[in-house]
Amino acid sequence: MPTRQEAIDLILDHFDHPRNFGAMPNPDSVASGRNPVCGDVVTVCLRITGGRIETASFEGRGCTISQSAASITVEQIIGKSLADLMRMDGDSLAAEMGADVMGSRHRCATLALNALKFAATQYRNGTAIRSQADAPVMDF
Amino acid sequence: MTDSLDLSNLRADFPVLAREIKPGVPLVYLDSTATSQKPAAVIEAMNNYYRLSNANIHRGVHTLAEEATALYEGARERIAKFINAKSAQEIVYTRNTTESINLVAYSWGRANIKAGDVIVITEMEHHSNIVPWQMLAAEKNARLVVIPVTDDGELNLSRFESILEMGPKIVCLTHMSNVLGTINPVAQIAEKAHAVRALVLVDGAQSVPHLPVDTQSLGADFLAFSAHKMCGPTGIGVLWGRKELLEAMPPFLGGGDMIRRVTLTEFRVNDLPHKFEAGTPAIAEAVGFGAAIDYLVSAGMGAVSGHEREIIAYALDRLEEVPGVKVYGPRAERKGGVAAFTLDGVHPHDIAQILDTRGIAVRAGHHCAMPLHERFGLPATARASFYLYNTQAEVDRLVDGLYEVKKLFA
Repeated sequence: MPTRQEAIDLILDHFDHPRNFGAMPNPDSVASGRNPVCGDVVTVCLRITGGRIETASFEGRGCTISQSAASITVEQIIGKSLADLMRMDGDSLAAEMGADVMGSRHRCATLALNALKFAATQYRNGTAIRSQADAPVMDF
Repeated sequence: MTDSLDLSNLRADFPVLAREIKPGVPLVYLDSTATSQKPAAVIEAMNNYYRLSNANIHRGVHTLAEEATALYEGARERIAKFINAKSAQEIVYTRNTTESINLVAYSWGRANIKAGDVIVITEMEHHSNIVPWQMLAAEKNARLVVIPVTDDGELNLSRFESILEMGPKIVCLTHMSNVLGTINPVAQIAEKAHAVRALVLVDGAQSVPHLPVDTQSLGADFLAFSAHKMCGPTGIGVLWGRKELLEAMPPFLGGGDMIRRVTLTEFRVNDLPHKFEAGTPAIAEAVGFGAAIDYLVSAGMGAVSGHEREIIAYALDRLEEVPGVKVYGPRAERKGGVAAFTLDGVHPHDIAQILDTRGIAVRAGHHCAMPLHERFGLPATARASFYLYNTQAEVDRLVDGLYEVKKLFA
């Protein structure tokens, strides 16, 4: 577990300098998630080759926790299999962000993860949406 | 000086206010709009009830049952006096404000609203004064019409005038907004509503705890409020209604206590207010509610509202000193002790979390008023709210905390 200060530094670093931020040309699956309680929004794009996440990106706006968690999660899943993604949960995020800092903000922190899992499931079911403009905003 | 409260003594009445959130960091509780803290007198009254007098009320012949009934009904008498009701029969115990509003929507609403009828709400309502009317309107095919809110956070009364021409059956509005703090001119609105024979339901969840409220001059036909926002326990609230209206309404929930006589094929309803109180009620909570009323009466509601007027004026001045802070709603003299605000570039949840590390409890989110936040184009706000036990020094700690938030996000 990171110390509280390490966790805050990591969160602010990802918030100020989000990794893999922006739209992706020709994604294989797109999903958009919103936390209706605080209005956080995250849209994720996946490119998938042979069941593996070749690359991923996100865009969004909202609180520090939701946006930095999106950056951290997307960074973590690149190169992983879809099965690896489906196995991830809030605990794996807490290991990076600190359970203390995540605290009551679990829904903010897992917003991107839920959107990524939704995009992966849609892809597996053959119902993937392939453009940001068409992705309905799901309430998570 | 309207402030005649002795704050140092008064704070000592609330055990939780002595708490440190972590060693050396005392609690600054600025979330009384969500729920107030409880004085020791309330906690002890409930404790004593369970230790000494616990029994089920009404119909019991033994000593404890008589004591419990006297405590339960005695609290009702004091609540009636507190809001200057004509009789304790007009005080119906419910679980909370939400249930009180639902009671009217189900009982009065289902008996009186027909297809095409107009029900009026406002854009600044808490979800509890929106959703029951949406449900009723959907069921009856009635029309829900909304009084909009101006940029200053007040009701658009000229729009209300044109809504009245639609001949509404009921106008449902909050006395004081739980976000903007706006104190609505209920008497003026009620006079106009009554002129077109509409009833007026007032959500008093924020006003009854903070302002002197007199049901005989308020102009309302129904008033809903909760104990837990006025120094009392959770789990009990009140619906006040004019007696003749309550008498004409069909019962809400069926069961014990709400009947006079039951056969296997029919029942006869009990008298007011028991007609609306089916099943064993929250007895200890009623006892606690009574103690909370006693506490507020001894503090003096004039002094409570005077103290809050001073503290909100001070808070608005200090908050506006902080660059990037925007407070929503009317100026201090037109609002209660609520300051919903945003800070440029920082999400309200981040504000609340960082303030929490400094022991400062504020709320962040939509405060159960999503349509109002949409009106101002905001996903969320941070909200500091004040009660009789808050001090200007606590406002200073909030402002210091906000400078800390800015530093972290600079």
